[in-house]
Amino acid sequence: MIALLQSSLPTLTQPKIVGVALVYFAIVAVIATWATRRTKNANDFFVAGAGIGLWTLAIAKMAATLSGFAFIGGPGLVYTIGIGAVFIILPGAISNALGAWVLAKKMRLLGEVRGLITVPDAIGARYRSRAAQGLSAVGILIAVVGYMATNLLALGLVIDAIFGTGLGAGIWIGTAIILTYSVAGGILAGIYTDVFQGSVMAIASAVVFFFALKSGGGMDHLSQTIMQADAKYLGPWGTIGPVAAISFFFVFGVGSLGQPHVIHKFYMLKDPRQLKWYPLLMTVALAVTQLLYVSVGVAMKGLVVDGALLPLVKADQATPTFLLHYTPTLVAGLVFSGVAAAIMATVNSFMSVGAAALTHDLPVAFGHRVTNELRLGRISTVVLAVIAAGVAQVSGTLVAFLGIFGWGLFASTTVPALAIGLNWSGATRAGAIASIATGLGITLAGETLAYFKVYSLPTGLSVSGLSLITSLLVFFAVSRLTSATAAGQIDPDIKLVMEV
Amino acid sequence: MKRLVLTLVIVSCVTVGIGYAGAFFPGGEPSWSPWCLAIGTNGALMSLMALGAMRRGSLPCTLVLTFVGMFLLCAGAFVAALALPANEGVGGALLLGLPLRTAIVLYGVGVVPIFILPFSYALTFDSNTLSDGDLERVRAAHAEFVRRAGTEL
Repeated sequence: MIALLQSSLPTLTQPKIVGVALVYFAIVAVIATWATRRTKNANDFFVAGAGIGLWTLAIAKMAATLSGFAFIGGPGLVYTIGIGAVFIILPGAISNALGAWVLAKKMRLLGEVRGLITVPDAIGARYRSRAAQGLSAVGILIAVVGYMATNLLALGLVIDAIFGTGLGAGIWIGTAIILTYSVAGGILAGIYTDVFQGSVMAIASAVVFFFALKSGGGMDHLSQTIMQADAKYLGPWGTIGPVAAISFFFVFGVGSLGQPHVIHKFYMLKDPRQLKWYPLLMTVALAVTQLLYVSVGVAMKGLVVDGALLPLVKADQATPTFLLHYTPTLVAGLVFSGVAAAIMATVNSFMSVGAAALTHDLPVAFGHRVTNELRLGRISTVVLAVIAAGVAQVSGTLVAFLGIFGWGLFASTTVPALAIGLNWSGATRAGAIASIATGLGITLAGETLAYFKVYSLPTGLSVSGLSLITSLLVFFAVSRLTSATAAGQIDPDIKLVMEV
Repeated sequence: MKRLVLTLVIVSCVTVGIGYAGAFFPGGEPSWSPWCLAIGTNGALMSLMALGAMRRGSLPCTLVLTFVGMFLLCAGAFVAALALPANEGVGGALLLGLPLRTAIVLYGVGVVPIFILPFSYALTFDSNTLSDGDLERVRAAHAEFVRRAGTEL
């Protein structure tokens, strides 16, 4: 995603691509209108009335997990640093089963027993702590605005490239499209458009994978070609070395347990027994959709090494350049619609999570309960989107900075308190609050110092990794020191959910 | 057993922390730093899964074997890539289209678990994760919660 923000995409204003994109947006509009009519209350707006099926859950979660980075920035990163970039998506083979065992059942049953609707809700209920819930909501709000701004800028770039609207207009047109269905139908509309959008992403990725292998003459030929020119590129860690590569694996593996826009969807499943096949469906859907990520980056490297293409000026042009040269125009149109789909699905999820933090979690943290959460949820969605779009338009490179720490901030403030806390009765309120504060502090301070070039971590280390491991260790240490208080901090119904 | 699994989670996190700390050493990271990250990260992932899968302090034998096996496979793949000599240059051996060390990591960590973990979850779901009886207990707790909340109001 960050790479996508650093330069514009090539112009794609060709009739077939524009046509495919228009058809795509029209289908999104039809689905959103249908879903919007079913949104009657706050429960529908924030957790889709806890009434969705397994296939819907799996595809919607996949669509929310992958942003435009999977289609544009990711292949560009593979083109630049080789196999090292694959460690960002490598945990996908494990992380869905991990999420299922650690969180899925417990989150869904928390929704069942208490009617909870947000991730901070679960943290507040687990520790009987409004402070923990409020602090978690603050972390989510900060990350959500940054993430949304990053994604809206990326969407503006894609709309500008396809329709020639100009970047500023592209940002606001994209924001308006997402807002239209998010405000009216909330997450319910988002979920059903996600199913369509996720399907577009999966089909686009699978089709491009075959074109990528074909263009390089097969995997063996591609590897031999690249190895002649750059031995490290296809080495197990790419050009970034083992510490950086394995650090990616840690942050995106363990950190997957802390992404609120993804894990809050567990509340939405109608029948918790359907979770049985959730990891299989989600893992396969994710694996198929990530085929493009790896194949296009490697194919472009091979084509450049082979002399078939000139070296790219900007890495994020890997996907557009490949599509325009090596796939039929209709396929290119499908993929660019897939990019828009990925971004829109992610932004809609962020809108829902952010609006819930604003209208539900923060008031609860201060001991209040909003009387009309549906109405205020809609207003909050508009406010957050306008702020994020404004940030995307005026702040230049700052928006990339805001997007960088999103994943790390979510992970370090949520994994210890929620993922481990729901599985360990010895975890304490003090441990949860200390770990959330640690994650917030280290991520914000570390990324700010790095952005302003005051201090940078040693090569290979990321602030996200450091903040996640530090918040985990602080969580264990403080919980241990305050262990005498642990037993009295869990309500009987929450304890039941933790034990069944 | 829960105590053991929790200890493994903590030890794994400490191992990752030591790996990160090594990167701060003057003169660059020591050779053991990536080893700590490889073993600690895979230990954390597998022990967290085991922690989440525990019921009443125990794990069925099949899941113990799954998690131990997956740890050996994934950590072993990383360790093999770290330990084997680099041979990715011209004429280097390929395995399923990729250089040997790369293939070990990508197929071992990125592909094989897809065929094991989701099926382990599904096949133990009814007996170990969520039964009809469990759901009934939770729904009874919900009814009690609603009754209590109504009384308090």
